[in-house]
Amino acid sequence: MGRYLIRRSLFMVLVLFIVSLITFVIFVKLPASDPARRAVGRATSPENVEAARIAFGLDKPLYVQYGRFAKGLIPWPGLFLDEDVYYSYANFVPVKEEIFSRLPVTMALAVGAAVCWLMVGIPIGIISAVRRRTIWDRGSMVFALIGVSAPVFWLAYLFLYIFWFKLGWAPPSGIPIGMSVWEAVLTGRFILPWAVLSLTFAAFYARMVRGNLIETMGEDYIRTARAKGLSEKRVIYKHGLRAALTPVVTMFGLDLAGLLGGAFITETVFNLPGVGQYAVNAIFNNDFPSVMGVTIFGAFFIALANLLVDVAYAFLDPRVRYT
Amino acid sequence: MRRYLKVLALVAVLGLVAAACGGDDGGGATGSETGPTAGATGETGAGDVQPGGTLELAMLGDVSSAFDPSKEYYSVTWEYYRCCLLRTLLSYNGRTTAEGGADLQPDIASALPEVSSDGLTYTFTLKSGINYSPPFEDVAVTSGDIVRALERTADPNASVGGYNFYYNPIEGFAEFGEGKADSIAGLETPDDSTLVVTLSSPQGYLPYLFAMAATAPIPPNGDARLGAAEGHTKDYGRFLVATGPYMFLGSENLDFSLPADEQTPVAGYEPGQSIQFVRNPSYDPATDGLRPAYPDAMNISIGGDNNDLYNKVQAGELDSVVDGIVPPPVLRTYSTDPTLQPHLNINPSDAVRYVSFNLAAPPFDDVHVRKAFNLALDKAGMRTFRGGESVGEIAGHIFVNSLQDNLLADYDPYATPNSAGDLTAAQAEMAQSVYDTDGDGVCDAPECSGILAVTDEADPYPDQAALITQNVEPLGLVFDVKSFERTTMYAKCNDPSAQVAICLAPAWGKDFPDGYTFADPLFGSAAIFPSCCNYSLVGASSDLLSENGYSVTEVQSADDVVTTANQQIGDARFQAWADLDVLLMEEIVPWAPYLFDNNVDVTSARIVNYSFDQFAGLAAWDQLSIHPDAQ
Repeated sequence: MGRYLIRRSLFMVLVLFIVSLITFVIFVKLPASDPARRAVGRATSPENVEAARIAFGLDKPLYVQYGRFAKGLIPWPGLFLDEDVYYSYANFVPVKEEIFSRLPVTMALAVGAAVCWLMVGIPIGIISAVRRRTIWDRGSMVFALIGVSAPVFWLAYLFLYIFWFKLGWAPPSGIPIGMSVWEAVLTGRFILPWAVLSLTFAAFYARMVRGNLIETMGEDYIRTARAKGLSEKRVIYKHGLRAALTPVVTMFGLDLAGLLGGAFITETVFNLPGVGQYAVNAIFNNDFPSVMGVTIFGAFFIALANLLVDVAYAFLDPRVRYT
Repeated sequence: MRRYLKVLALVAVLGLVAAACGGDDGGGATGSETGPTAGATGETGAGDVQPGGTLELAMLGDVSSAFDPSKEYYSVTWEYYRCCLLRTLLSYNGRTTAEGGADLQPDIASALPEVSSDGLTYTFTLKSGINYSPPFEDVAVTSGDIVRALERTADPNASVGGYNFYYNPIEGFAEFGEGKADSIAGLETPDDSTLVVTLSSPQGYLPYLFAMAATAPIPPNGDARLGAAEGHTKDYGRFLVATGPYMFLGSENLDFSLPADEQTPVAGYEPGQSIQFVRNPSYDPATDGLRPAYPDAMNISIGGDNNDLYNKVQAGELDSVVDGIVPPPVLRTYSTDPTLQPHLNINPSDAVRYVSFNLAAPPFDDVHVRKAFNLALDKAGMRTFRGGESVGEIAGHIFVNSLQDNLLADYDPYATPNSAGDLTAAQAEMAQSVYDTDGDGVCDAPECSGILAVTDEADPYPDQAALITQNVEPLGLVFDVKSFERTTMYAKCNDPSAQVAICLAPAWGKDFPDGYTFADPLFGSAAIFPSCCNYSLVGASSDLLSENGYSVTEVQSADDVVTTANQQIGDARFQAWADLDVLLMEEIVPWAPYLFDNNVDVTSARIVNYSFDQFAGLAAWDQLSIHPDAQ
């Protein structure tokens, strides 16, 4: 087990290294413009452009530049997202400070939405599976189709316009200045973002649960359970659902981890100052240190979730050996 | 392993999106890029104007350099400084040009500076009784504090992205910045209330520089040379000590006795999230005739969607959007609803939109082609693509009118019926060109085909480019239009080696209300690459032209005219800029200007006193008053 963990951890480091390298190459080799010139603006002097280049470390060879950024990926105090390197070109604020100050908002959004989509998606999937070809099944699948098809940004605008601007049923976007994340949750500021974000996931999960459950209910051991005289409810919930939900758990871990790296569109449209909104701003400002920081941060969560899922699988399923 | 591919794919997509989208400047990263910039004042309910309440504002994006006064080159921040946070030797009254908003006013100084007869020495005298915000509430502003600010501004590391190049005419400024001198020779402080500035050559724009935040005083702090800014090369803005009627919330908790890296920044500015101004208890209104400072506090949220923010203004959740663009449906509502009309404010902005010719690239090396283009351009159509009449006035010349005291307000050497272009006149002009060998008004030389034109890929520039192409086709001019994201477009237009013949989408706004900010950076030979932004190569040397592969050996210069104009003061200065404008429009013809931008603002129903600050081109936030019933 120990060797397995070490191997998987090293593999995670390798993934993060590759992610950082790809991000760096993309930004260096496919630049939208010279970051130094962008930082100094149009009306400037050659001396100022040069000063910006030096300030950002852009005067150094590429491998040195990458080395500086790579060092900041090491999760060690003083090294991780080092403020001398991971310092925004766009607004001169340390990337680490920005990410950590925004993390609570992203967590509130992601966790709340996750609870919502599980509470909606799984029951719909179950109903749809156990009442196949009924109006419940058709209705559920129409919901799933709409949820999967509707773009998040469109839903977000639509919900805001209808439920806040026109009907006044929900609070507006954003978190009022001075209000903590917890207060924002309690005063309903996350209701619309949760609804929008969870709708797509709920639809996807409903389809997945339906498919898995239908497949499971055709297994031999389900027939055996029925033959033994167990109630249909017990067959479904005790025996069928447990097996059907295993892949859901896996997906859930990865989806939640992905969202913890930032729900880009939802945070942007609802003006939630989370990691995703920060990432979008960084991308549009071509703010390389911020993009690098936030990408690694997001990738870290996904890679970590992969690791946890792998380990959990090894525990749950004896067939998955530590090999 | 397959799952890890998801991570890699995500990163690759992110990076590609970033590379593709990374160029949008939004509201403009510098004060020189156009954006909301200027105006006329709309009184909306005088009589109810009273101090009190909290002004609720929103910004789509953050300030550009976390409020560092040496770095911030962004009109939005400049307005926050002017209205609220920082007083300077000179400043503005936060009103329109007609109300004196473009005129310099004494602020920390007791009067406008005394100027020596040779125009080389400026003497400022400071008022007494101006103190800093807490924790320096007992410290009075002195002339040495302004020298401290300028020494910081001279440091290229402290002023990354700033505009310190404007201060180079101060004797010894550049040498100090390069570390070749211990002090700036051209700054003397005979006593705490006197500052003497000596220039190496006469510069009529000098007083305007002392209304910029880069010269705002920095308080002393023990023996530290840079005072409170010591150790804050990157981030002084988050430790800013105010002199204006407002300060950041929590300023009193700043502890400058600690080493810089152990100090905690102000609570009232969370980068990328929010800004909070509260009243500065040290501020004495008796020393300030420029800022009524009506609101008790200002909350400014950062981020969000443009349409959603304007919906909030309509719903009364917000009072205004600082850097937004009023969506057409909202503009229609405010234009047509009599109850909302008083809250719609349209002011002429000190920014111009234009098409720039490369005077060294065929066929635009022929002045007749350039004039023909000016005559053929459908300026009204160009404006329609930007939103119609509300977005601005058709431009007949280069300098915005306020910089010339309206001397050329009715001047347009290429006026056409309804500003829609005049093909007949254009073809008559083209017939005089060497590129029209048979004189039929249609260019028949090979140089007129496949002309490299560059434009901005963002809306509405592609539509405008198509209109331009259509306008000039009857003249025989055929463009090869290349679209880029904004910064790349500007980089291409600015680089002579790129051989861009015509740049279709540039715009320019003033940095301060003087013609110099239109003259030297746009037409001075020193503003050619690697400097900026003389895209037309006006005054390019034969060496530069030859190095960049041009067959033209000379381009007419405007340097002498600019230099002479810059030595003038008063009315003669306005006239000099007007003369330069005429020279450019009729002899050199580097541009086809088509629009003087407007700034369009809407406010919530509870705002009863709107004022437009001509200097920054934005609402004067301290002058917006909240109706007593809504406070």
